[in-house]
Amino acid sequence: MLIIQNQEIAHHQNEGIRSKWTFEELRKIPEFGALIAFLALFIFFAICAPRFFSLRNITSLLTIIAELGIMTVGISFLMIGGEIDLSVSSAYATAGFVFVTLANIFTFPLGSLLAFIVALLVSLLIGFVNSRVVLRGGIPSFIATLGMMMFLRGILLGITGGRSISYAGDSLVPSLLTGIMAYRFRPSHFWFIAIVVVFSFILNHTVFGNRVFATGGKKLAAYTMGVNVNQVKTACFMISSVLAGLSGVIAISRFSLANVSFGQGMELEAIAASVIGGTLMTGGYGSIIGAALGAGIMGMVRTGLVMAGVPSYWYNAFVGIILVIAAVVNLKLRSTILGE
Amino acid sequence: MNPKQPLVRMENIQKKFGKVRALKGVDFEVYDQEVVGLLGDNGAGKSTLIKILSGVYRPDGGTIYFQGEKVDINSPEEARKLGIETVHQDLSLIEKMSVARNFFLGKEPTKKIGPLEILDLKKMNRECMIGLKQIGIELRSPTEFVSTLSGGERQAIAIGRAAYFGARILILDEPLRNLSIREQRNTLNHIQEARNKGSSVIFITHNVHHVCPVADRIVLLENGEKLGEVKAGELTPEEIAECIATGQMIKVN
Repeated sequence: MLIIQNQEIAHHQNEGIRSKWTFEELRKIPEFGALIAFLALFIFFAICAPRFFSLRNITSLLTIIAELGIMTVGISFLMIGGEIDLSVSSAYATAGFVFVTLANIFTFPLGSLLAFIVALLVSLLIGFVNSRVVLRGGIPSFIATLGMMMFLRGILLGITGGRSISYAGDSLVPSLLTGIMAYRFRPSHFWFIAIVVVFSFILNHTVFGNRVFATGGKKLAAYTMGVNVNQVKTACFMISSVLAGLSGVIAISRFSLANVSFGQGMELEAIAASVIGGTLMTGGYGSIIGAALGAGIMGMVRTGLVMAGVPSYWYNAFVGIILVIAAVVNLKLRSTILGE
Repeated sequence: MNPKQPLVRMENIQKKFGKVRALKGVDFEVYDQEVVGLLGDNGAGKSTLIKILSGVYRPDGGTIYFQGEKVDINSPEEARKLGIETVHQDLSLIEKMSVARNFFLGKEPTKKIGPLEILDLKKMNRECMIGLKQIGIELRSPTEFVSTLSGGERQAIAIGRAAYFGARILILDEPLRNLSIREQRNTLNHIQEARNKGSSVIFITHNVHHVCPVADRIVLLENGEKLGEVKAGELTPEEIAECIATGQMIKVN
């Protein structure tokens, strides 16, 4: 994808005559910063942690990256559309709980598939409610989704009383989502890649994607040009929460256990991954491939530090530094493109 | 007076914002291929009136006729479908998007690849350059971000876009604001060009000297009411300015 996009930019700039892939051209792609950081960290850990660059580690790394990455793709889409969603971590846990609970009840054939579908519908509903509260209620999405995050987590705690639920349903959906394959690859790795490709395509090559950029970039201007901005935002909220829900079902399928504290704090990790990937928190600018790389960076730091012998307690400190550096570098890169 | 039926006629238009009556029953019409100056001091209701015509606001009272037929304009999308293109004061351009993506926003061309309907980016880039060239604007590249362009270039793109889509009515809200003298002259040329190609133009300004060189007719608004109107050449710019300053017409048609 990266290569395709790069070609395209080169193509646009010279009206059909392909320009050279110079550094100047390369750094104009929005995910350039994230790509360099990704490669740099990969090489760093491959040198510092002896077993880091092994197939076994890379596949287990992909498992973590895929789950965070799917959520990050969704939240990036919404951030480009000019809103934020803090409730993704709760949508993640809620979808997981709905899935486990229903799959345990639905003992008929394809029961887990039905449970999976209901879990995704519930996630879509969460996004829809978020969008109504923000657009009708007129309050900032930060507040609305903070409320949703606390509300859902509270409901889960209230219903379960803090007890975990083990998965006892059929193995269809868990194996389709995250069953172990050859070399410890899992289907979730490929779902993640497919989701990145599809949503990157939607963002850059469809009318809807064009309007997501416009709505996030300058809502009023988009509206005066005939864009139904509320519809665009509603769709973005729903994309954000359904991908969070999918990510939750995948994670819970992998652990075969739903726990109330599941995914707590993950919303901030997803936002961080998104920002590292070059997405502008204020909207109108960003990249899905960048979001995937951002999630990759987070995942690498998490396992890489442990493998390099650093206690895992240091994880947040490293992520914090990377996040701030990435935000500054991305700002510089962006200003060369936007001329600001 | 023009004997033909007006292209658009707004009758007894009223609009309130809270307790403020921004428009107190304004009549306003535009004829085919005419440049109408809509003139008034700050807060006279000029922008409110044209935002009703362009679908941004809904009126609290009054009727709009388009080519003799009563119409409801509920959104900018509906206004654009009627051929009403507006260049708002803040330009309706999105800085963080490319010129081509801005140019076609709301009316994006697509092509089919199998069952998928995708943006025709090649066509967008090509047509945007052609469309702008037609009104004498040369851009470096259609993929350039709007944020890299000057105020005059942005104004030209906004007008060029409206002209490209064959506007029946082109509404320009303070088009000369913040432009250099050369850019002002270019913009006035673009306005005349659009009129020559068949558009009617509504030119909103509070500066009488801006509108006099191009307007066929000038409508004066004052405090949400129509003060009167003058045809080109009936009054000098100084006399018109005097009307606005005193709130009284020297000679009422």
